Amino acid sequence: MATFELYRRSTIGMCLTETLDEMVQNGTLSPEIAIQVLVQFDKSMTEALETQVKSKVSIKGHLHTYRFCDNVWTFILQDALFKNEDSQENVGRVKIVACDSKLLSQ
Amino acid sequence: MAEQGLEGSGSQPVDLKQHPSGIVPTLQNIVSTVNLDCKLELKAIALQARNAEYNPKRFAAVIMRIREPKTTALIFASGKMVCTGAKSEVQSKLAARKYARIIQKLGFPAKFKDFKIQNIVGSCDVKFPIRLEGLAYSHGAFSSYEPELFPGLIYRMKQPKIVLLIFVSGKIVLTGAKVRGETYEAFENIYPVLTEFRKNQQWYGYVHNSLPFIQSCLSNEGYKHVYFFQLTD
Repeated sequence: MATFELYRRSTIGMCLTETLDEMVQNGTLSPEIAIQVLVQFDKSMTEALETQVKSKVSIKGHLHTYRFCDNVWTFILQDALFKNEDSQENVGRVKIVACDSKLLSQ
Repeated sequence: MAEQGLEGSGSQPVDLKQHPSGIVPTLQNIVSTVNLDCKLELKAIALQARNAEYNPKRFAAVIMRIREPKTTALIFASGKMVCTGAKSEVQSKLAARKYARIIQKLGFPAKFKDFKIQNIVGSCDVKFPIRLEGLAYSHGAFSSYEPELFPGLIYRMKQPKIVLLIFVSGKIVLTGAKVRGETYEAFENIYPVLTEFRKNQQWYGYVHNSLPFIQSCLSNEGYKHVYFFQLTD
């Protein structure tokens, strides 16, 4: 199964990458294994978001910029309001990057 | 939208020589084209410019928008560009120049050749209902009225060559003009025809309950004596 590498830029993905880098540098891990772990991370993130996350968030804000290129949507919102069931938060500037997961199964 | 009607745009009086009907169609959309006269790398443009869409599987142009004047441009690899959505000829040209400037800033040697207004769409409201069947019948050579397909009457005027969509409500859309004068001329040509086919309202049923109300409304409009007889067109 092919996956996006999108979630490597998330906090948890960055932490994993840093740790793997460290382990490769001090020789506890081979680079090949490190790459394999990252690929597994991509798969696990996709699967977890698909099957284990039920909560929904709505994001509403002023659309400052949008782009669609290479099947990736990018949105920059200003003064966005994030809302879920029990809380809400205002954010001054948000960047949303969205890929179409249907493209992976093709 | 409030700028149309008997007072014309804003508070300026209507020039009755040019607009004998007293109604000035409002321009709603201007389509223009220009040649930037250089080959363009569409993917590079989509990646660098803001508010751009490029999906070559669906359409072979970058779709770009700006907020002022609020318009959309289709930008082709050949360097040809289409600008839509402006409300006046001047705004359309200004928008096209802004797009050309954006392309230049991305490093392409864009020029601004052969700018041309390709289409002007206007609309207005004559504020009375129209008998479309009657109009279609007496102007059969120009009219196409298929209410099962489309609720408006399509009137293909020959001089000037303008297509009008005429709706029962009295709302009119005029399209096909290259200069706004053609839109105005077409409307002045059709206006007497519309008054000829003005629909008499079917008041029956209303009348018993709300005759005093209807009469007060009409007397506010300046009618002194009002009688309703006609039950159909």
